[in-house]
Amino acid sequence: MNNRKITLLGPQGTNIFIFLIFLFFNFISWFTLYTLTDFQGLEFEVDNILTRQVVFSILSVIVFFLLTYLSIENLQRYANFLFFVIVSLLGALLFTQPKLGVRRWFDLGPIDVQPSEFAKVIIVVFVANLLSKNFNKGILISLIFGTVLLINFQPDLGTALIISFVFLSMLLLSNIKLRYMSLLLIFGVSLFFIFLEIGSRVDNVNLVTQYQISRLNEFFSSDLDFSQSQSRLLISSGGLFGQYFVAENIDKVFVPVETTDFIFAAFAYNFGFFGILFLIGLWGLLFSRLGRILTVSNSDFDKFVIAGFIALLSFQIIINISTVVGLIPVTGLPFPLLSLGGSSMVSIAFIFGITNRIFIENNITI
Amino acid sequence: MFLNKRYNFLALLLIGLFIYIASFLFDLQVLSRATALSTIDKQTSDTFYLTAPRGDIFDDKNERLATSSMEPHLFLNFRKIDENNSQIYQQFIRYNFPEFGQNEITNFFVDGNNIELVGNISTFSATERQKLLELDAFEIFDFPIRKYNYDNLTSHIIGYVGKPTSDDFEEFPHTKKSLQVGKNGLEKFYENTLTGLPGEITLKGNEIIEYIPPQKGEDIYISLNIETQNIVKNSLLQGIELANENEQTKNKVIRSASIVLDVNTGAIVSMVSLPDFNPNQFVDGISNQDFEQLNRIQAFNNFAIQGLYPPGSVFKVVSYWLAENEGLFPEGLNSRRGRIDCKGSLSFGFDDGSQQVYQDWKEDGHGRVNLSSAMQQSCNVYFWDIALNIWRTYEGTQNESILQNYAKDLGFGELTNIDLPFERNGIIPDREVFEDWTISRPDLVRPEGWLGGDLMNLIIGQGAITVTPIQVANAYKTLLTSTYSSPYLNIETSDNLKLKKYNISDDFIDFLKNDLNLVTNKNGTAYAAFEIMGRKANDIGGKTGTAQNPGEKNNTSWFVGIDSVKDPKYVVVTVVEEGGSGSAIAAPISRRIIQHLIGSDLTPVRYGEITE
Repeated sequence: MNNRKITLLGPQGTNIFIFLIFLFFNFISWFTLYTLTDFQGLEFEVDNILTRQVVFSILSVIVFFLLTYLSIENLQRYANFLFFVIVSLLGALLFTQPKLGVRRWFDLGPIDVQPSEFAKVIIVVFVANLLSKNFNKGILISLIFGTVLLINFQPDLGTALIISFVFLSMLLLSNIKLRYMSLLLIFGVSLFFIFLEIGSRVDNVNLVTQYQISRLNEFFSSDLDFSQSQSRLLISSGGLFGQYFVAENIDKVFVPVETTDFIFAAFAYNFGFFGILFLIGLWGLLFSRLGRILTVSNSDFDKFVIAGFIALLSFQIIINISTVVGLIPVTGLPFPLLSLGGSSMVSIAFIFGITNRIFIENNITI
Repeated sequence: MFLNKRYNFLALLLIGLFIYIASFLFDLQVLSRATALSTIDKQTSDTFYLTAPRGDIFDDKNERLATSSMEPHLFLNFRKIDENNSQIYQQFIRYNFPEFGQNEITNFFVDGNNIELVGNISTFSATERQKLLELDAFEIFDFPIRKYNYDNLTSHIIGYVGKPTSDDFEEFPHTKKSLQVGKNGLEKFYENTLTGLPGEITLKGNEIIEYIPPQKGEDIYISLNIETQNIVKNSLLQGIELANENEQTKNKVIRSASIVLDVNTGAIVSMVSLPDFNPNQFVDGISNQDFEQLNRIQAFNNFAIQGLYPPGSVFKVVSYWLAENEGLFPEGLNSRRGRIDCKGSLSFGFDDGSQQVYQDWKEDGHGRVNLSSAMQQSCNVYFWDIALNIWRTYEGTQNESILQNYAKDLGFGELTNIDLPFERNGIIPDREVFEDWTISRPDLVRPEGWLGGDLMNLIIGQGAITVTPIQVANAYKTLLTSTYSSPYLNIETSDNLKLKKYNISDDFIDFLKNDLNLVTNKNGTAYAAFEIMGRKANDIGGKTGTAQNPGEKNNTSWFVGIDSVKDPKYVVVTVVEEGGSGSAIAAPISRRIIQHLIGSDLTPVRYGEITE
């Protein structure tokens, strides 16, 4: 099975459903960016963002097919090494020059690379590997806790939260005793608030930075964050069917980062409630298809990886939308395969590529 | 160990979260959409600008010529108009402002944005106004109404105001905040001075949260004398009537212009162009029909600065100056006293041996004439002889355009830069102009180009030359004072005029004044027109001009007069398009104007003598 010959596009080589839905999400992203041409007062050139996203899409399709060549056995073999590499990169990031007040990107000339985007994927693989081997859960929890702290120092609260949620979900699926799980949850939640409390009292504390505190304090006060209140208004004005095919044009709403973290607001404005149902429905369809592996595969690693990916994508979508509508504070997470951004696109291509390989190895090609 | 049971629990948890988010979005996008839309509308504040009253315009006796009065106007706040109350307001406007058609009202409500002007309610009673204000969306603000106290009399000087168009926005960016902009005359030229600071109404949501009243623009004081203006206009009207009675012209005589220019300062004392119009018609909006009617007879043109005419004999003053200054007289003569024998025609030999005969207006000739009598009797032959001399001396040399250069020194062919818009510059033809025209306007010139005959035409103000009346007035003023300056209306600008001093001797000026004086006295071409003034004519001077026009158009009637030879204060220039002989029409018109200027009794304009 492991030495199975892989062909690129043949029916034996690629799961058509996964590939097509991957492409389809890319098209939706292009179209949504294109609709931003109708927005007034944007500070960037629309041609430019669309071209960039198309280039990222092409890159991510290549990554998708390259990942298809990586056997699951090898993936599992390299999991610990990959984790070591990404933790080193996250550590190294703390020594870079801050950009826009945060240390989140490596500046590689024309492009910036955001390691935490890849950390999410690698941690799923790493945790899946250790859980499938029944590794000591105490050590595992400590390792992940340390990584989350590293990411938190950037600061990147969104990714830190996502990794915590995904890790807890995967842990839940393992044979951990439920009472330990509950203890862990209580511990995690109280830790979160202790950080907040310390951060708000002591200056110069790096556990939770002032940047996060100001955002969180803003959130817990009665007023919504300005960009959130604006994006909420924008979403509201979308209505049932959206405004893209209607003449009405609203230029009195100011949504920051309309192309990246807040692109969901633009999507909701242009395509309305039905457009949102369609988009979420597509993701739901994908997740239900991915769920088949849990009944078909005999490999716990496969199951943990797929379940981890489902949890990762779901939480990312949930947290992104919750941020955009103002249910939770601004965290700075992209919407998977919709937001403009190379790191995000490529990291999600990793997920689709690995998933594709798992399906092929389980002989599910459609 | 992967536990599938727990996965089902996780999946249910995620589905639950998605459903919660979907329901939240449903609430946002469907249930509370209307609230959000009104929040969007309210979160921006807009500023609406109220037109400021313009500065007043006063004449030289501080007589108010143009004024702005603030009158209450009704405005409609469209932010308070919705589907429910729109009909009520439409009915209200229809009932109270019957001048609006149903279509206009409908369009008004379709296009209406923020606050819009509905109309003047100064005639409404207090109770009627109170009733209007009971309707929440109506607001009353003062809006300036421009009034021109002398109607047609100042139409071309003051101009008029209108609603700004996109062209106005470009020329005067501040008009984006105004409903009035000067369209012509001083209103346009001094737009930036006259316009005030617009008032500001700041709207947040549908409520007015701030009101800053408008500030009036600056007043301007001009050199015009409205009494003189009135007499000039009446004299022109009498002259036009005479011309229509006496001249067998194909076209009715309607167009004329007259200028009274202060010789010592360059100030315009009077400037009339006929036909004129009533600028007050523009205040409430002129009807298309009226506008077209006025436009057809070119009533909006100020012929004093825009009329382009061949100057005829009034142009002889240029060669008069040239002859004196260069010592360049008819061949064989070397002073102004030397005489030629005018036999009524001049034969001119061309290089190819052919002969051209030039016929003077006086068939049997003027007899023996020198520079003075040639000026007095407007003898063409004498000036043709000067042209021949210029041609033979300078043809093909750098000095070939010497006559044109003298003309340009006096301001011909160039804008005088009077403080009025749309001035035109006319043309002083020379070899270069003709060469340009052989390419751009081949219908205007012969293929041979510039010839001696063209110079002979030019020297008597005929042929391709065109000038404006203001250029003629300013040229005479320049010679009489040896100083060139731009004419002006606004006395504030008089301090920063560009002056150009010429080396013109007092002797020459005295000769000129004397010779102009000969014209209005016995044997002069304008004698018939000035005879009625008796001894008072002894101190008057002038020059007649009768310019021929191509086709069936009658001659253009010209006269340039000065009010006093001893101490000239004013130059009076009168032109009547298709008026015929300068001596017969323009001279008696100017005579009546000069009678007013020197404070003597006015006598009606009488038909003079046909000369030239």
